Amino acid sequence: MLRLVAGRIVSSFGTLLFVGFALFALTRAGPGSPARIVLGADATAEQLAQFEQANGLDRPFLAQYGAWLSDILRGDFGKSFVTGRDVGTEIVNALPVTLSIVLFAFAIAVVFGISIGVAAALRPGGVFDRVSRLLSVVGLSVPAFWLGIVLIRFIAVDMRWLPPGGYAPLSAGLSAHLQTILMPSVSLAVYYIAVLARMTQASLQDTLRGDYVRTARAMGLSSPRVVAYALINALPPVINLAALSFGYMFGWALIIEQVFNVPGLSRALLNAISQRDFLLLQGIVFLFTVIFVLANLAADLVNRVLDPRQRVAA
Amino acid sequence: MVNLPTDRRQFLTAGAGGALAAMLPTSLLYAQPNAGKTLTIVLPSNPITIDPINQLNHDAMVLGQTVFENLVEFDVDGVLKPQLAKDLPTISADKKTYTFELRDDVTFHNGKKMTAEDVKYSFDYLLDANNKALRRPLFTKIAKVTVLDPLKVQVDLSEPYGQWLYFLTKYMGIFPAGSRKEHGDDYFKSKPAGMGTGFGMFEEWKPNDSISFKKNPNYWRKGLPAWDRLVVKMIPEDATRVAYLLTNQVDIISAPPAREFNRLKTMPGITGASRPTLGGALLMFTNNLKPPLDDLNFRKALSCAIDRKTIGDKVYYGLLDPAAVLAPPRGWWFNAEAEKELGFDLDRAKEFLAKSKYPTGAEIDISIQAEPYLLDTKDAAIFLQAQLAKIGVKINLKVYEFSVLIQQIARGEHQMAMQVFMSPGEATYIIANTVMPGQFLSKSTGYDNPELNALMAASFLETEEAKLKDLYGKMQAILARDAPIGVLGFVHASNLWRQGVQDFKVNQALTMSVGEVKV
Repeated sequence: MLRLVAGRIVSSFGTLLFVGFALFALTRAGPGSPARIVLGADATAEQLAQFEQANGLDRPFLAQYGAWLSDILRGDFGKSFVTGRDVGTEIVNALPVTLSIVLFAFAIAVVFGISIGVAAALRPGGVFDRVSRLLSVVGLSVPAFWLGIVLIRFIAVDMRWLPPGGYAPLSAGLSAHLQTILMPSVSLAVYYIAVLARMTQASLQDTLRGDYVRTARAMGLSSPRVVAYALINALPPVINLAALSFGYMFGWALIIEQVFNVPGLSRALLNAISQRDFLLLQGIVFLFTVIFVLANLAADLVNRVLDPRQRVAA
Repeated sequence: MVNLPTDRRQFLTAGAGGALAAMLPTSLLYAQPNAGKTLTIVLPSNPITIDPINQLNHDAMVLGQTVFENLVEFDVDGVLKPQLAKDLPTISADKKTYTFELRDDVTFHNGKKMTAEDVKYSFDYLLDANNKALRRPLFTKIAKVTVLDPLKVQVDLSEPYGQWLYFLTKYMGIFPAGSRKEHGDDYFKSKPAGMGTGFGMFEEWKPNDSISFKKNPNYWRKGLPAWDRLVVKMIPEDATRVAYLLTNQVDIISAPPAREFNRLKTMPGITGASRPTLGGALLMFTNNLKPPLDDLNFRKALSCAIDRKTIGDKVYYGLLDPAAVLAPPRGWWFNAEAEKELGFDLDRAKEFLAKSKYPTGAEIDISIQAEPYLLDTKDAAIFLQAQLAKIGVKINLKVYEFSVLIQQIARGEHQMAMQVFMSPGEATYIIANTVMPGQFLSKSTGYDNPELNALMAASFLETEEAKLKDLYGKMQAILARDAPIGVLGFVHASNLWRQGVQDFKVNQALTMSVGEVKV
C-alpha cells in the first residue's frame, strides 16, 4: 500500500509539473497585459513599460517560468502585482471559505445521492424509482447558477429565511455559518445528487443481479444484510465518480461564489482572470489541480480497501 | 408531558426537522445596516487600490474620497467648491498662478494639523516622475508649488490650464508631509490608516468582500459624517446586488441593472434616482485611418443613420441622454446647433453615403466589451446593426474583454469600437484624450486638427464661463463638421437605496458621495 501511495505521489508530481507549465503558457498566451488593468485606460506607453519591467513581465518566457517554478517549490506563491498582496496569504484566507461550501455540498451530494440511488434500486419500476428518475433529469438539467438565483429570490428575498449571500466563518457561530453556506451548497450539490443517485442505482441494481446475491438470498440471509454486502461491492464506481465530482465542484463553485457573493477562492480566481493577475491565477489553479489529484488518489485508496480484487491486482 | 419519539425513524425525522428549523430563523443574524449607525454601500466591481493618485475605477473612487480630500471639490452637481481651501483660488492675470488660502481647522486622521507643507509635499510627490503615479500626466502643467505661509500655498503652472482644478477630486488627495516615504506606496494602496483628512478613516480591507471605514470624529465639517462606520461591499452580480438591497443587508447600491431600474425604484421600501453624467459618454471610436471610416461623408452617414433617442429610451430605458457631439445635452457648454449636423436623419444619411467613396455601403467590424460597464454596449451594437443595415452598412460584432479592447483602441488596431468612457465631467477631458495628438487614446480616431488644438489651448487660458462656452461651442462645431468620433449619448448615473437613507444624492460624476448621508 505504501509503495502504491508513493508511486501515485510521484506520478502526480509529474502531472502537477505539466499542469504548471501549461498554465503558465496559457496565462501568457492570452491577449491583454496586467499593466493595462492595473494602470487603467489612461496609462501612457511609458507607464506600461515601466510596470512590465518592474514586475519582470518583460523577461523571456522561460526565465519567468523558471523563477515561478523555483518559488513554488519553495512554497512561495509570490506577490500579486495587481493588488500588491501576498498570493499565498490570499489563498490561505480564501481557501476555508470555498472548502466549507464545497465540503458541505459534497456531503449533501453523497448522502442524498447514494440514499436516493439505493432506495430507487431496491424497488425497480416502483413509484420512488420513477420519481427519482424524474428528479434526476431535473437535477441534471437545471444550471446551478440559475438555481442559485431562484433560491435567492424565494428563500432570501420573499421568505427572508436566509441571507441572500455573503459568508460568515465558523468562528461567527455555527448557525450564522450554516445560514450563509446552505444555499450555495445546495445549488452546487443538486447536479451531483442526481449524478450520484443514477450511478448508485445502476451499480447496485447490477450487483443485485449477481449470482452470489441470489445464493445469499436462497440461503436465508436477511434482506438488509444482502443489500449491505451488495452495496459494498457496488460502491467503487460511485466512489470514483464522487472523487471526480469533488474536483469538479471547485470549478462550479466559481459561478456559485459569484452568484452568492462569497469571498472564496473561486471569486478570487475570477478576479484574477479579469485583472490578468497571473500569479494569483496560477496559484489558485495550481491548488485546484492538487485538490483534484489528491481526491483521485483518495478514491483509489478507498476502492482498494473496499475491493480485495484491486489489492490482488496491485 | 412531552412525547419523545421512541422509534428510530421518528427520532431521526424529528432530529432532522429540528436541525433544519435551527437553520431557518425568523430574523437574520446579520446586523441590519442601520444597527450601530453603519452605512453599507455596494460597488459592482472589485477595487485594486484606495490611493487616489493611482485610482482608475470611477466607482471605487468613493474609497479615496472617503479618506482623502483636496483644495477644491468638484461636487455631485458638477460645481467647483472650496474644500480644504477657504475659498476658490485667486488666479493671476496671466492665468498661470493660483493662490489658495487653507482652512486652519483641518487635521489628518493621525491627529496632525494640515498645513501648506502637506499640500506642497502631496503635489511634489505626485509630480515626481520617479513615483510613477498613474494620474501624474493630468497635472504635469504644474511647474511648482510654493509655501507662502503655513496656511497659504501657491501653485504655478508652466502654461495656462484652468481645467486642472476639476481633476483634483477624482485623481488626487492631500496627505501628510513625509508619509509616502514613511509608509510606502502599498500602504496607501491597501490600508491608508491615518493618512487623509476625509470624513472616514480606514479600518479594514477584506479581499473580495468589503472595505470598511470608521467615522472621523475630528472632521472639520462639524456634525459630519452622520454614521459611525462605512462598509463598502463588492458585489459583481447584478441580481445579488439587488437582493442584498431588498433584504436590507445594504443601504445603497450603485449600477443597478438598467432593465430593472424603473421597476425597482418604485418597490416598497426602496428609493431610486438617476441623473445624466456630464462626463460619461457612450462613444464609437471610429478609426479615421482605416477604410471605410477614412471617408468623412461615410462617417457622417453613419452618425445620421443612428436613432439615438430610441437607443436612449428603448434600449437603455432612459439611462442614456442622446447626443451626437462630445458634450452632454445638459451641460452648460452644449452646442445644440453643432449637434444638428450629426443628428438622426435617414435621408441625410443616404445623401452623405451617396457622396462618399462607398455609395453602396460597406462592411465594418465593431469591437465591443464583453462585460458591461454602466451600460451593456452589446445591446446598442445589436440595435446599430439593424439601423445601419437600412443604409447598406453591414456591421460585424467582435466581443472582447475590457483589457483587450482598450489596448486595441489605444493602439489604433480597431476599425470601429464602442465603449462607455467615464471622465470627471469637465468639458475638455474626453476631447483632449480622443481627438487630439499625443494622448493615450489619440490613435482611437487618428484625428489631428490644428484648428481644434488651438481652440483647446485658448480654452486653457480662460476661466470665465461665457468665454469658455463660446470656445467649447466652436470645438463642438469643428467636431460636428469633421465627425472624427461617433457619439451616441451621455450615460446616467443611477443608484437605489433603502428608504431609511437620507440626504443621499446621485453624483453626476458617478462616484457615490456618502459624506453627508444619514442612516
